[in-house]
Amino acid sequence: MLLALSTFVSHLALAEKATENEPQKETASQSAKESHKDYAEMKISECSECHKGEGVAPNHDGAWVRGHRMVAGKAGSNCSQCHEQSFCLDCHSGGGIDPDLSIRNYQRDYVPKSHRTDFLSIHPVKAQDNPQSCNRCHEPSYCNSCHSRFPKGSLKIKSHLMLGPNHQGYNVSSAQEHATEARRNLQSCQSCHPDGDACIQCHRSGLTNPHPRNWGSIKDNYKDRAGSRVCTKCHLPGTY
Amino acid sequence: MGAKWVPRLLLPLTLLLPATAWSVEIHGRSSTQLEWFNNDFNDQRQVEIGQYLRVSITNIDKAGKFSIYGYGRVNQDLNNGEGFNARLYYLYGEYRDLFDKVDMRLGRQFVNYAAGTAIIDGGQVTLKNVGPVAFSAAFGRNVFFDIDGGEAGHGGDLALALSAYLHGFRHTDLEISWFRKWDQWDVARDTIGATFKQNFLNSLKVYGNTRFDLASETFNELLGGVKYFPMSNLVLTGEYYQSYPTFDATSFYSVFAVDQYQEAVFRADYSINSMITLNGGYTSQWFGEGGKGHIFHLGCSLRPIESLLINLEYDNNQGYNGKTNGFLLDAYYDLTKSLQLAAGMGYDVYTRDIVLSDGTARLFWLGGKYRIAKNMTASLRIEDNSNERYSNDVQGRFVFNYDF
Repeated sequence: MLLALSTFVSHLALAEKATENEPQKETASQSAKESHKDYAEMKISECSECHKGEGVAPNHDGAWVRGHRMVAGKAGSNCSQCHEQSFCLDCHSGGGIDPDLSIRNYQRDYVPKSHRTDFLSIHPVKAQDNPQSCNRCHEPSYCNSCHSRFPKGSLKIKSHLMLGPNHQGYNVSSAQEHATEARRNLQSCQSCHPDGDACIQCHRSGLTNPHPRNWGSIKDNYKDRAGSRVCTKCHLPGTY
Repeated sequence: MGAKWVPRLLLPLTLLLPATAWSVEIHGRSSTQLEWFNNDFNDQRQVEIGQYLRVSITNIDKAGKFSIYGYGRVNQDLNNGEGFNARLYYLYGEYRDLFDKVDMRLGRQFVNYAAGTAIIDGGQVTLKNVGPVAFSAAFGRNVFFDIDGGEAGHGGDLALALSAYLHGFRHTDLEISWFRKWDQWDVARDTIGATFKQNFLNSLKVYGNTRFDLASETFNELLGGVKYFPMSNLVLTGEYYQSYPTFDATSFYSVFAVDQYQEAVFRADYSINSMITLNGGYTSQWFGEGGKGHIFHLGCSLRPIESLLINLEYDNNQGYNGKTNGFLLDAYYDLTKSLQLAAGMGYDVYTRDIVLSDGTARLFWLGGKYRIAKNMTASLRIEDNSNERYSNDVQGRFVFNYDF
């Protein structure tokens, strides 16, 4: 693949050489934002002085870990002027080629500081804060690949009220609590029941309707994208 | 893509380099690591040896526009039957500034757009310097890693992104993008994203970003914020954020009704001088149907002498779904120019669920890093955990880095 690319590039270089003698116009946009490549080794405090002088908000401040996606999560970001992609992926994907001494491992993978102390025990609290936070680094299947290795009943889910043979059943009288919990953080249901096997017992066609209020106007969006893959879990073909 | 693909992908490099050796620069890092930890899945001690390699090959062509970047790791379990695994984080060729207008990347890479991010096996093309608006497109196989160290995913897992953004404005950023993800050939995500930033009056920054999910016709995420920086060493932040959990259209859960989550954040970061930095924040959370939460954060960084740095962070999370209350403390001391010693601890009290009693987690660690030569370092980190699962759980790592 790369060999093919290098051949392609040599052709491009030849093509570009033909235009080298053409006059280069400097556009206004080129002169407005400068490259930070030369500042990569500077102290952050020195960066802030310059930013303030230019009326640009200081970044890499104390809130940087929390807020950096505003700057990094877009096309045209200038992160690569100072950082290689490994800088991102060491936090987002468990790599560890530049580990600070304070950076921890979870088994072989390095983890960011948000995965504090006994994160295995604390993560249910963190995972239910902002429902999006886990998904910034982990696919939903990541949760299930771990949860599925523990016997049902060992995870002590509050709203399951310790009923049934495996202590994970629902008390019918607590159905409303279960509904509230599910609506607030449906990802947590998915982490143990990825195919909705437990949900479908009550939420199939003719029983409790789980759809949002505007379902009538949006259901075709799902059919257009995923076909019958989800619908036929509860409905007979042609009935939805 | 398993480990067998790594040598196949690296092979063309060996063919490429001799032909262009007149100008090629090769830099990178080799990191050899020995790790020992408790395997939570079978409760056995595990010892692994790992090898990371990061390489950048630049100045391949005469104009210095073509480069190749790569990063990956291999691990071998030595005693617990988990065997060998590997991750290729990226390996791509990049050609920049073609006609001063086009940047191209081909290979495995990390792509970021307001509408979505992904690691892809594919290509990204950026068209710039054609006016105030630049354009970017990326397409490829969607790559994600599993908990065992390798890769998850199937055939037909793809990602596509198209973007237009303002290019080169010092005080204004605006990007609008569309991100589509396929799950085994079915469309799983269809998202429109936007991100915006504007600096005002030498002391204000207004920013926001959003992701709109086209299947559920809802704002998956919406954030608006203001940063006020009256001085270069003081930043005050206020943010409003809301999210609506959306699922892949191929997921059973995509058809369920869910609640909106909202939060408001207030935060201050203040560097009193080169020795003392303080920060504090409060987050108010609304989970829907009356669920509320409060998060308090305080932090400070102290450098009483040039060779000593102490960081302290305190977090108190009073959520509807549980509580955590604890701190992290780190200290670094440069004993000599070549030797750094470090230590730290963490302490958390948490209530995971009202039917359970409080849990306590303690963490202590010690470490040292020694610069053997200008391009060689060795470090050792040992950590001891005491919590509801283990009265004593020691893990650690030894790392030898060689820069070239």
